[in-house]
Parts: sequence; C-alpha cells; structure tokens
Amino acid sequence: MQSARHSTPMNPATTLPTILAIAWLLPLAAFALVWVGYSLPQMAGGRASYGAQRTAGWLATGAIGTSCVLAIVALIIWLTQTAPHEVATVHETAAAHQAASEHMASPPTSYSGIYYTLAQFGKLRISIGYYIDALTIAMFALVTLISTCVHIYSMGYMHEELEDMVDREIATPDGNYYHRPGRYHRFYQYLSLFSFSMLGLLLAGNLAMVFMFWELVGICSYFLIGFYFERPSASYAANKAFIVNRVGDFGMLIGLMALWSCLGTLDFGDSNTPGMFSQLRSEAHQYELDAAAMGSESADTNYLLLFVAGVGLFCGCVGKSAQFPLHTWLPDAMEGPTPVSALVHSATMVAAGVYLVGRCYPIFVPEALLVIAIVGAITLTLAATIAITAYDIKRVLAYSTISQLGYMMLALGLGGWAAGLFHLITHAFFKSLLFLCSGSVIHAVHTNDMRQMGGLRHKMPWTAYTMLIGCLAIIGAGIPALGIGLSGYFSKDAIIEQAWSFARVNESSGYQLLMWLPLGGAFITACYMFRLWFMTFTGMPANTERYDHAHESPRSMVGVLVLLAVFAVGVGWHVPGSKLSVTSLLERARPAGTLETTTGTWLPNLTVPDEHLSHEPQIAIPAGWSAFAMAMGGLLLAAIIYVWRWLRAEEIQQSFSPIHRLFVNAWWFDQLYDWMFVRPALWKSKFFAGIDRYVIDPFVNLLARGTAFLARALDLVVDRKAVDGSINGLARLTWDFGNSLHRLQTGNLRQYVVFIVVGLLGLFAAVSLCWKYALAG
Amino acid sequence: MQFLVENLVSDTLTVSLPLYWPELMLCVTIVLLLVVKLFDGLRWVDPFYIAVAGTIVALGTSAPTEGFGSLASMEPTELFTGMLVYDGLTVFLRIVLLLFAVLLLVLTKLTGLARRYDGQDIYVLLLGATLGMCIMATANHLMTVLLGVEMASVPSYVLVGAVRNNRRAGEAALKYAIYGAGAAGIMLYGISLLAGILGTAHLPTIGQQLVAIDLPGLMAAGEQPGMLAALVLAGLMIGVGLAFKLSAVPFHFWCPDAFEGASAEVAAFLSVASKAAALALLVRVTLAVCSPVAEAGPDVVAAAESPTIVAVSSQAIATMEAKTPPLGPVRTYLATLIAVVAAVTCTFGNLAAYGQTNIKRMLAYSTIAHAGYMMMPVAALALLTGRSDGGAVQAVASLLIYIGIYLFMNLSAFAIVAFLKQAIGSEQISDYAGLVRAAPVLTVAMVVTLASLVGIPPLAGFLGKFAAFAVLAQTGTPMMIALLMIAGINTVISLVYYWRVVRTMCLNPEPATRGPLQLTAWPTAYALLVTLPLLLIFLFPGSLTELAQAAATTLLP
Repeated sequence: MQSARHSTPMNPATTLPTILAIAWLLPLAAFALVWVGYSLPQMAGGRASYGAQRTAGWLATGAIGTSCVLAIVALIIWLTQTAPHEVATVHETAAAHQAASEHMASPPTSYSGIYYTLAQFGKLRISIGYYIDALTIAMFALVTLISTCVHIYSMGYMHEELEDMVDREIATPDGNYYHRPGRYHRFYQYLSLFSFSMLGLLLAGNLAMVFMFWELVGICSYFLIGFYFERPSASYAANKAFIVNRVGDFGMLIGLMALWSCLGTLDFGDSNTPGMFSQLRSEAHQYELDAAAMGSESADTNYLLLFVAGVGLFCGCVGKSAQFPLHTWLPDAMEGPTPVSALVHSATMVAAGVYLVGRCYPIFVPEALLVIAIVGAITLTLAATIAITAYDIKRVLAYSTISQLGYMMLALGLGGWAAGLFHLITHAFFKSLLFLCSGSVIHAVHTNDMRQMGGLRHKMPWTAYTMLIGCLAIIGAGIPALGIGLSGYFSKDAIIEQAWSFARVNESSGYQLLMWLPLGGAFITACYMFRLWFMTFTGMPANTERYDHAHESPRSMVGVLVLLAVFAVGVGWHVPGSKLSVTSLLERARPAGTLETTTGTWLPNLTVPDEHLSHEPQIAIPAGWSAFAMAMGGLLLAAIIYVWRWLRAEEIQQSFSPIHRLFVNAWWFDQLYDWMFVRPALWKSKFFAGIDRYVIDPFVNLLARGTAFLARALDLVVDRKAVDGSINGLARLTWDFGNSLHRLQTGNLRQYVVFIVVGLLGLFAAVSLCWKYALAG
Repeated sequence: MQFLVENLVSDTLTVSLPLYWPELMLCVTIVLLLVVKLFDGLRWVDPFYIAVAGTIVALGTSAPTEGFGSLASMEPTELFTGMLVYDGLTVFLRIVLLLFAVLLLVLTKLTGLARRYDGQDIYVLLLGATLGMCIMATANHLMTVLLGVEMASVPSYVLVGAVRNNRRAGEAALKYAIYGAGAAGIMLYGISLLAGILGTAHLPTIGQQLVAIDLPGLMAAGEQPGMLAALVLAGLMIGVGLAFKLSAVPFHFWCPDAFEGASAEVAAFLSVASKAAALALLVRVTLAVCSPVAEAGPDVVAAAESPTIVAVSSQAIATMEAKTPPLGPVRTYLATLIAVVAAVTCTFGNLAAYGQTNIKRMLAYSTIAHAGYMMMPVAALALLTGRSDGGAVQAVASLLIYIGIYLFMNLSAFAIVAFLKQAIGSEQISDYAGLVRAAPVLTVAMVVTLASLVGIPPLAGFLGKFAAFAVLAQTGTPMMIALLMIAGINTVISLVYYWRVVRTMCLNPEPATRGPLQLTAWPTAYALLVTLPLLLIFLFPGSLTELAQAAATTLLP
C-alpha cells in the first residue's frame, strides 16, 4: 500500500477506505431492511400499507443520500490530503505538458487493501478489497449523486405504485386492464441493491470482486428492466439484456483466466504482494508495458496472452456498455421505469464497461486498444443513424447512449484515457438529465411516441428548458473562440482532438476513418437530439387530448431536473480561482506509463499518441472548430426540417427509402441475431429435446423396465416359486381366504424355520463343494 | 481358592465395574422404571423422563475416562475375567447405541407410542434390548456372544408385538420370536462344536488355538478331515446366529414381516441399533479368529500348549512354502463366506425393495441391502488382518463411520414414517402422493434422507459408502474388486426405489380426499434435528472419522 506523502493526523490511507466502505454498505443495509420489513411479510401474504411503502422510499433515499454526503466528504479529503500532481489542464501549452509528462512517470497515488478475505486457494486470494484513487473517488461521487437524484425523482414518478396499480399495457381476457398491488417498496429495494452493487464495482480492489459486482449489477438491471414483469415485452427485454450480457461475460472470464494464470493475482494495487499493474508495468521497466511479466517462454506468446487478456476484458465491457455487436439489448431495456433508464441504463451501469477499460488501462497493448477504438467507432456511427429515425422518445435516448458510449470507447482506444473518462462523467449528468426530462414528459402525456407530442414547452416549461440544456450539452455546444461551453463541449472536444491527433500520426486511410466517423457522429448527434426536442416541445400539439391533460411534474421531479441541469452545464468547468476541474482530478489517477506515445508490436504502423499532444494548438484549434461546425450543422438541419419546415421529413424518408428502412429497423440486427443465434439455438434445443424424449427416455425406460422385470422375476421365481411354491405353494392356492390368516401364520412360520436349516445346509454344501478354494491360504 | 476369590473380587471391583458404568446405569434406570410402576404414589412421574435421564447419564459415562484424545492409545482391557472387553470399539458402539436410544426415546414420546401410564413397559424393553446390544458389542467370550444376542433379541420380540389393537403386530412378533429361537439354537450348537474342538470359548484364545492346530499343515497333509469339517460347520452355525441379527440373506425372512408389523419406531430400533451391535459382534468374532493378539509368536504359543502337534507338523511346515501364514485358511474362509453373503444380501435386498408398496417393508429391504454394504468392509477386514499395512484399521474405521452415519439416516427415515403415519394414518407409499405441498419440511427431510441412503454426494451417506468402497478397492484382490463392482451396481439399482418415493411425494398430485395434516411443530423440528447431521457430517466429517479411526486403532495390534 502506498501511503500519502504528507502524513497528517487524518491519514487518508485509513479514513478513505472506512468512509467509502460505509458509503458502499449503506444502500445494502437499506435493501436488507426493506426486504425484512416489507417483502418478507408480503411473501407471507400480508401487504405493505401506503405509509409503510412511503417509508421504504425514504429509507432507501436516506441511505443513498448519506452515501452521497460521505462520497463528497471523501472527495474533499482526497483533494486536501493527497499531494496533487502537477495539474495539467486541457488548454495549456506544450511545455507544461512536457513537464507534466515527466512528472507522470511515477504511479498515481492510490490506496489498496483488503477488507475481508473470502478464501485462499494456493496463490489465488479471493477477497473483498479496495483500490482507491482519484478515479474511484470521482466515480463514487458521481454515482451516489445521480443515484440520489434518481431516488428523489422516483418518489414523484413512481407514486402510482403506492396503491393498487392498473397496468394499462396489459389487457386481461375479460377486457379489463390488469390490476395488481403496488410495488413501490420493491422498486426502492432494487434501486438500493443496484446502488450497493455499483459502488462495490467501483471500490473493488481486484478483478474477481469486480466480476462479482459486475454480475450483481447485471442481475439488478434484470430485475429493474423486468419491473413490470407482467408485460411480456418487459420480461422479454429483461431476459434479452441478461443473456446478451452473458455472452460478453464469457469473454471477460477468458480474460480473467489469462491474467490470473499468468500473473497469479487479480489485485489492481500492491497489498503485501505485487498487483497486476506493478507486475505489468514495473518501475524497473520505466512503467512501460512489459509482456515478459506474463511469464511464458516466448515473447510472442506473452504478447498474445496480454492481447487475449485485454480483448477478453473488453468483451465483458462490450456486453455491459452495449457496444457493437452486443448493443441490441439496451434499446429494449427501456421497458423498465424511466428513472431506471436514467440511472442504470445511461449514467452508471452501462458506463461500467467504459470505467473498467479505464481502470484496466495499463494492461492493454496497442493492438487491443485498436480493437477498442474500432468497436467504439462502429458503435457510435451505427447507433446515431438508428437514433435519427426512432419515434420513441426513450429509444432515441437509448441509441444516443449507445452512441456516446461508443465515443468513450473510441477515445480510450485512441489513447485518450482522460478524454474518455471525462466524457463518461459529463455524459452521466446530461444523459440522466435527458432521461429524467423524458420521464417527466412521459409522465405528463402517458406515451413514448414523439408523434403524439408537440408544443409541450407551454405546458411544462421547466422540463422543456432543462431538457434543452441537456440537448445542448450532449451536442457539445460551446464557443471555441472563447473556450467556454457546456460540459459536453469540453469532453467531446477532447475526444475529437485525440482522434485528430491519432489521424495525424497514422497516415493510412483506414485510420483516418477513426477521425471522420466521430466527426460525422457529432453532426448526427446534434440532428437527432434537436429533432427530439423540436418534435416534443415546439410546433403545434399533435394530439390535443393528450396536450390538454399534460401538466408540469411535481416539485420533487423538477427540482432534480434543475440540479442536474446545473451539473450538465458546469461539470466541465474549472473551480473558479483554481486549476481544479474534473480533468485535473482524473489526471491524478492516470496510470503510470500510459502518457506516452507507443507503437504496436504486431502492427508497427500503429501509433497511439500521447494524450497531451492533442492539446497542441495545431491540433486543438482545427479539431475544435470542425466539431463545432458539425454540431451546428446538425442543429440547423433539425431546425430546417422540424421548425421552419423547409424540408418535409416524409419526403426525405421516401427519397432515401432503402437507407431509411435500414435505420428504422436498426440495421436488422435483431432479425439477424434471431436468425443466426436464437433460432438455431431453439432448433438445436428442440433437436436435443427430441433425442432426449425419443431416444434416451425409451432407452432408460427399457433399462428400468428390464430391471423391474428382473426384480419381479426374481421375486416370483426365487421368493414365491422356489421358497413358497416348493413347500406349500399348491396348498396356498386352495386356502380359504376368510380363514387364511390363521393358517397363513403357521404355514409361513414353518417355512421360515425350515429355511434356516435349508440355508445352513446349502451354505455348508457350497463350502464342501469348494473345499479347496474356500480354505486356500 | 481364597486367593482366587480375592483376585476375582479385586478384579471386579477395581477394573471391571468402573469400566462398566453405562450398562450399570441402564440397569439402574430399568429398575427405577419398574419400581416407580409399583407404587401408586409415584404414578404422577412420567416414566419418559426417568428413561431419558438414565440413558443420558449412561451416555455421559460411556465417554472414555481419560477423554477422547486418549482413545487411540488406549490398551484393551478384559472385564469380568475375560467375558467382556473394553476397547475403542466398545466406546464407539456404546456411544452410538446410547445416543440412538436417547433419540429414539424422544421419538416415542413425540409419536405417542409410549403413553404416560403404560410407557414403562416399552421403555424397559427398549433399554433392556439396548443393554443386550451393549453386551453384544463388548462380547469377548462365546457365552457372552450368545447372551448378548438373546438379551437383545427377546425384548425385541415383545417390542415388535407392542402395538395396540393390531393383529399383524402380534403375528409379526411371533414369527420373529420363533425364527429367532431357531437361529439361536443353531448358533448355540455351533458354539458347542467350536468350544469342543478348540477347548475354549474365550475369543482371543480361540484365535491362538487356531494358530496352534496349524491348519495349513493339516490340510496339506490331508489329516483329520473330520475336525476340519466340524470347524467349518461350527463357523457356519455361529454365522447363522449373526446373520439372523444382521438379517443377511438367506436368514432375512423375519425382517420384512417384523418391520411391517411393528411400529415405525421399533422398526427404527431394529434397523439401527440391532444392526450396529450385530456388526460390532461380527467384527469381534472376525478379529478374534483372524488376528489373535499373540499371533506374533505362534510357535511359542504352540510349543507351550501342544508340543505334539508341533512335532507332527514341523516337517510339513518345512516342506510347505513357509510364507503360508498359520491363519491363512481361516481368513480366506471367512472373507469368502462374508463376501458371498454380503453380495447376495445386498443384491437381494435392493431388488426385492422394488415392488414394495408399504414404506416400512421397503425400508426393511433397504435395511437388508445396507447390512450387505456394511458387511463388505468386514469381508475385507478378514483378508487385511494378514497384512501389516494398516488396511485392517481402515476397514474397521470405515465400518464405524458407516454405522455412525447410518444411525441418522435410518432413524430419520423411520421417524418421518412414524410422523406421517400419525398425520395421514397410512404407511402405503401411494398415500404419500403430493405431500410436498401439505408437509413441505417433512418431505424435504425425507428427500434428503433418501438421497443420503442412496449415497448422493452432498450428504453423509456418500461418505459412508465411499469409505467402505475405498477399503474394498484398496484390498484389491479379485474377489474384493468383484464385490466392489456388485456394490456399485447395487447403488445404482437402489436409486430407483428410493426415488420412486421421492417422486410420489413431490410430483404426484395430492389426493382430493386427504384433509389438512395434523402436524405440530415438534415432529418437524425432530425431523430436522436428525436430518441436519446428514449434511453436517458431510461438511465437517472430522470428528466422526477421527473417533472411528481412533476406535479402530485400539482393536488391532
């Protein structure tokens, strides 16, 4: 464990783990309390009353709120107690970067240790541990903050669940809607369990624990997507999310096995024994990635193993972060309640994949990074094109989430470690804001279909203008000349700059695409986000009945929207009067040795540039302006079609009808997977079920019948015929049934006693016959 | 004479009686139970508490005087001038039998087999039989062997008949009694033959005498075929007595009838305690004749006791291969005999259990099959005594482990049968249909018990079977390997009839006619109490295996 350089009475090495552990366990306590207090009685047939359900909500909210306060305390302790690296902010000169780079040639401050050892198998220690660095602290604050917001927001959004609920999506056979008791407390129970799992994932000190909580957030996501499990679509979506994620996790397990079998540990940091990072990037090796640590005989095999480990880990992230080709589950996951979409399926859980890539950054070889970048680039373009044709407000946001996650992966893959994680944090705020706004809209008009909306800004101004802030943030609105903008402006610029910088050092045309795709993506992003906003809030009401019933949401919801809007605007800014910002905080966690230009071993042409090079004026200025131009272009196009109506959307759809159909059907991925995997799997299972039923079952039955027959035959032949039959079988048949008991007694008894003698004599005869053998020494 | 009497008195008072506390406590309890019945003023005393208290005290006193840690290094002590012996097996079996007695007494209280005003009868019979079984487990002399068998059997006959208003019970008791009398008669005949030939009935001395008469020499020389035949016959006849207690084929006929007629509690007693004691006795007899204490110096013994035979056979020994040990024929004979009986018993029991419709009858055949399994390590033991690789200790230990686990398995099975009989009034397997919904805990306990009886891994039954089978595999002679394969096939066969019960209880629909079950919390708690050890022993086998290992170590030199 590394200790802080300034040892003070309040030693962060001991206080931070304690504070974060309490913040981590509080939601679990809330979960357990609600379970014991509410779910158990309900299982026994009782019902939670209105007041009791409300209390459950307050309990869970109180727990996560306290966690949030503790996380912020931890953040303050971190900022004040640990020595900052030379802060290198985004817009500084190259000279400062150089200095920073040299300074970075030492590992970042981190605290790692073990709370509790679960088991020890030889070298492998499975433990509940912690690894705390600036990234952990930042993510902790982010997750607890957004989770608290969502908890509060849900108090308004889910109030229908407090009493008996009528689910209008399900019609019962008798023509009515489906009635069921409310599940308010269960919703909060799941939210608490999710918060606990997510925080555990962030705090985890080793990959085994990461995997454990990885699966826990997966199961929570399953519960929450399937919250309205009576709806077939919801249970289908929950299953889909769970199964698709298993595919990714399979790859992740392979990665874990490769790492563990080679390094003998899955710990991130050093506690007693050297962890993964210090083995792979040892100080003696100037913190460069040292494949020889994988310990196999040939250098090529080592490198291959490291590549496999990296790509395997990334497979898990592909599943969790809904990257191509496993992105299909996320749009369906919108079947869950909207607050869940905001918390789990946009801001936190799906970002866990990005977080894990960032956390394990030291183990990725350049070729693995290239895989990540390519997957990210494909994902961001693909999802953006689909988003532009969707009419379901939540689906647009879901595809937008996938696209933004693609941006993050792309940035990480191109060497922009800080850019990717920075975008993760800003995106969490504005995307949860967008989702909660959409929830507010859905709450008001009771539909997801944007064609049924329109003009809603008059009815719900708070929602409309906070959502406008969210839209501006996601498209990266800002003024390049002045260097000011919303949070998304800074993070997206950083990504585009890194892509630009990458394209400059890698000449080949294939690599150039990795710059053009995110630029094009920025255009489409602006277009579909403002399409969404214009369709929902401007123009004439498309459905007057719904419009008339629409109303602004309760204060608990609007208050949260405003709070998140403030963050969406300002989270990319510096704290006034200091150099402190999210980026500078992230820089303090930058893994040792990842801030330098590296080249591939198998692909010598592949160069992953030093991230700080991207801030040089000759890159930053053109990249910033082109991103700005793209975003403005997209915004204008949306305005032309949906505000000024110079072009009609239907005409465009008709003139590009093949492409439009491709986009509307989400590139036919669902159908493709259905044909490629689902149906063959069903066929196979039918086939094997057939084998089971028509081949194995008859065979087993035959065996069973044979044995039973043998038993019966033995019973008949030996017991009945030989014993009973030989002595008085005939007499037995003629016995009078009514009088049989008395005679049966004596008859049987005589038999029995005779058989003692017969048995004895039989054995003696047997021994006599086998005399020599039986007594052979 | 005076000297002899003084010796006898001091031996009895200072050596034998202090090591005989458990049996004495049982005697005291029995007397108390009877005395309380005599006085009207004491009618208010529930005899159950006297019986349980007495048995618990007896259980307490059966711990070794110097603690369990000293068990492995304990020297066997002969009690009452060699009639009984006190060693590890004694300690282990006393604990098993008395623990079982305590649990069974509680069970009879719960099921109401023994009511408040006539409970004394059943308790006296139960404790009396337990006393007899303790004597069986400690017997060191052919007379105490017979005495123990009879003392265990006679109360059992009455117990089988002690079901009110049931003619079948009386019939079963009569069958059992007459069958038992026949078996005892034959056994006594065998004892007289053996004692007559060898001039002693003291078990260790029998072994020494067998060494002394030099069987390989006699066989090689073809001399005295009559004596050999008589020895073989004597062994067989004593075996009949033991086989009767073990319900081994072909001396098992009493078993299904007696079990079906008796109440489930008594059936549990017969299937566990009686079997455990009989197996201990079988081990004692086998060890006595196969591995006498003084075998290390057979020539010395022989020379001291019968020089003429040595003179006659010395030439034969010289001509024959010197490696033939003097007890080789006895070992092979016993091993073959026990192995064949075990294989037949096991197979017959499992196959015959198939067609049974009455759960107690099915469990009776299951008991027969398990007796077969448990005889297998004894067959191996007979062979292993000739080797010095510690295999014999393993064989005995595996048997003791099996007995310890078997106690809980069968007690649990019969206890649940007894509870269900109370609740639904039937012991037909078909009447158990759908019980998982009416009595989920009891059903789960039953499933666990049956799975353990099959020997499915997360349960203790697997451990017992594995230990026994491992001994067979380690012995490695063709006969033992064949026995192992037969045992393996039998395990598969047994799955079917055990699982038929599980299927009936869990999958078949509930009959519409059955009303709600009258089950209080106590039977459920009891079923859990006796089922839980099946899981716990598998998870934490340490104490049982160590105790068994230590007990087995004291038996062998």
